[in-house]
Amino acid sequence: MELVEEYHLRSGQSQPAGQEQGSIMRGYFAVVTLLQLFPKVNTVPICSYGHAGCHIPTLADLFERIIQQSSRMHDISTDLHSQYEQSLVPSRNHVGTWKCHTHDILAPDNKEMVQSLGRDRLTQVVLRLLGAWGDPLSRLHQSVTRHRDQDSNHYSSKALQMSDAIQELRAGVLKMAEKMKLVGVPGSNTAAHVPPEGTPTLAYKRGAPSSVDPNDLLYCLSRDADKVKNYLRILQCSSLPGLQC
Amino acid sequence: MRNVLKWTCLLLLVGTPHAEGHSPPGKPTLTSCRSPEKETFTCWWQPGTDGGLPTTYALYYRKENSDAVYQCPDYVTAGENSCFFNKNDTSIWVNYNITVVATNRLGSTFSDPVDIDVVYIVQPNPPENVSLTIMQDKGWPFLRVAWQPPRKADTRSGWITLIYEIGIRMEHENEWETHVAGQQKLFNIFSLRSGGAYLVQVRCKPDHGFWSEWSSASRIRFPDYFHREKSTWIVITVFCFFIFLIVTWLLHVNSHRSVKHCLLPPVPGPKIKGFDQQLLKNGKSEAIFSALVVSDFPPRSSSNYEDLLVEYLEVYVPEEQQVILEESKELHSSCFKSESSTSDSDSGRGSCDSHTLLIDKGGQSKENEDRPVRTEDQVEAEDWEEEGSDAKEDMGGVDVPSGGRVKTWPSVFTSPSDQQISREHCLSDSMIMITEGVLGPDPSEFSLSATKPAVAQLCKPVKSRSDINISTFVHKPWSVDSDGVRPVTEDTTAFLQPFLLQERDYSKVKRVGADNTLLLQRLADVADVDDCEDQTISTGIDLKTTPVCMDSIMPGQEATSAYVDTAAIFPMPTH
Repeated sequence: MELVEEYHLRSGQSQPAGQEQGSIMRGYFAVVTLLQLFPKVNTVPICSYGHAGCHIPTLADLFERIIQQSSRMHDISTDLHSQYEQSLVPSRNHVGTWKCHTHDILAPDNKEMVQSLGRDRLTQVVLRLLGAWGDPLSRLHQSVTRHRDQDSNHYSSKALQMSDAIQELRAGVLKMAEKMKLVGVPGSNTAAHVPPEGTPTLAYKRGAPSSVDPNDLLYCLSRDADKVKNYLRILQCSSLPGLQC
Repeated sequence: MRNVLKWTCLLLLVGTPHAEGHSPPGKPTLTSCRSPEKETFTCWWQPGTDGGLPTTYALYYRKENSDAVYQCPDYVTAGENSCFFNKNDTSIWVNYNITVVATNRLGSTFSDPVDIDVVYIVQPNPPENVSLTIMQDKGWPFLRVAWQPPRKADTRSGWITLIYEIGIRMEHENEWETHVAGQQKLFNIFSLRSGGAYLVQVRCKPDHGFWSEWSSASRIRFPDYFHREKSTWIVITVFCFFIFLIVTWLLHVNSHRSVKHCLLPPVPGPKIKGFDQQLLKNGKSEAIFSALVVSDFPPRSSSNYEDLLVEYLEVYVPEEQQVILEESKELHSSCFKSESSTSDSDSGRGSCDSHTLLIDKGGQSKENEDRPVRTEDQVEAEDWEEEGSDAKEDMGGVDVPSGGRVKTWPSVFTSPSDQQISREHCLSDSMIMITEGVLGPDPSEFSLSATKPAVAQLCKPVKSRSDINISTFVHKPWSVDSDGVRPVTEDTTAFLQPFLLQERDYSKVKRVGADNTLLLQRLADVADVDDCEDQTISTGIDLKTTPVCMDSIMPGQEATSAYVDTAAIFPMPTH
């Protein structure tokens, strides 16, 4: 049925182009309909989720899943940060002396800004945020495992979990973006530019990775995770009108 | 005068601190900052000592990644000692560093700075429009609680996500019962008491933030569905009553053992017919032993015996014994009962009469659970079993209880060669008790002796020797046939003439005849005819163990297995 859907979309777009294309399309449509009427071939839906007779997730399902993922990511990050903080003497004052390396990603920081951004750009922001954390986490993992004590093992495993969660979430958000395009949610730009992963960020341009205090890093991570979660929630509530937000 | 001066000096002194005792203000402290909807926030502080001078307070803040210091935009909206940050001044996910400064004429004091991120200080207002409705679910009522999120919190766009919690309690109770409702805005509560009055309240919390205050409690009275509960109770009661009936019926049935008999047919075992445990408890030995005497011996019905070869030995009991026996005749129901009587509830009923006795090697003894001397019986049984299996002639190993004990056993051997004089012999269903005497390799004696002297009146020891006296539980004299054993029909009895007793093998004493005949039975149809050859004859005076085995099993032919020594009957004349 997806074929038919696509046809409709395409046909909607192509009609102004010319009658010729329209007649070809009509023929194509007739063939497809006939094939549907006399099914002779066993069709197996191409389902990227693996299992037989698989259920193609709806946009709602996708959102549900990525919200869960982002919650999980946030929980891990807060765990990491709080544990790290507890193990240290609380000393520093964050403000003014350090910046999160994702600072230059223009993430909206109040409701009006978020709502004025639009779905697509918001999705992009999310993807950028997620992409920016791959590198630092691996570096954090390396720096922690260097110590090789009991705590560091714990941290390193958590850091790995975090990396995995981020990767999964990023993949999920991409799927969601595709689906939004497919379904035709207004505001989702088909020509969206997906930022590549590992966009170089501020801190790593400035100095060596080791200069970044893990505590600060984890604080930034936790905060970014919360941002992502919130943006996704806003996307969900605005994209799915039936949902009881 | 001096006093006046003193007082004025004092007053001045007191007054002077007002001028000289001023000090810079004490350190204020920021108590809390809260945001009700994640769009604005307010901070409150606690002033320190004012130092006696009018003190002003100012709040300064710095945002993350910026060195600019700003002052609080609004000191008024939120009340005294507060600072309100409106939407324009509020940035989420940005670290604020806030300081309060108290200033008076003499100086200023800075409070400790506080870092806050608005995301973590959200405490929403309580939920609104809490509504309670009674709804029906298939006739069973339940309570539905519905509410609205606080007005200011924007949950519709997804900016804030709230989770809710409901508290409910009965009016007279003190403790609230809480239920987490998640993100939904209605909640169903079941199983409330009919006719009860309840109070319900709701509160909410953002993802990470603080719980709001509880909403004002709403009251509701649950309807009476009393009659439904009652009908349920009635059904339950009736059901229990039926179960109770069934249980009592089962118990009743079990006590009568009919069910048990159906399911597990009793293995026939030895039993003393007429043995009454109650009598034993009462302690009247006379009654006990008299009860064991069967009145209707020999049994009239011959239904079970047609397949068995029964040869009757008649044993003569001297006159005196006869008298005594006669006397006791009326005392009890019967010593010997016919096979047909099944009123005895003892499961080990099969006893002597059953031809399976010979096969059953003594397991039956264990069935007589209600015998007082059971342990001894079991010991006996084991011994006899061993002996039976051994098929030895050796009697020495027999553990013969010394006299005077009631054995509840029909002789249960398969190899009568033994020695089993010490066993009991059946007389119909009662036993002749052999309590003494061991069959030696040579003519040994067995004796049936009564356990108690009182019994001797009725049942005298029967000994294999010619000189021993036979005591049976019969009140009639027995006799031994002249040629030892002769086939006897039911009604005929003959006197046993001991001296001419042939050597025959008898497996048991079948019963004691009504008129003093001892029926010895040679079982022609013993299942394990294999034992035939091993079966020895303990007959007569001469207790040779010559295995004489009958080939045929037809009734009427003499069986070669006999374990009752007919010679037991011999000593009759000696009495």
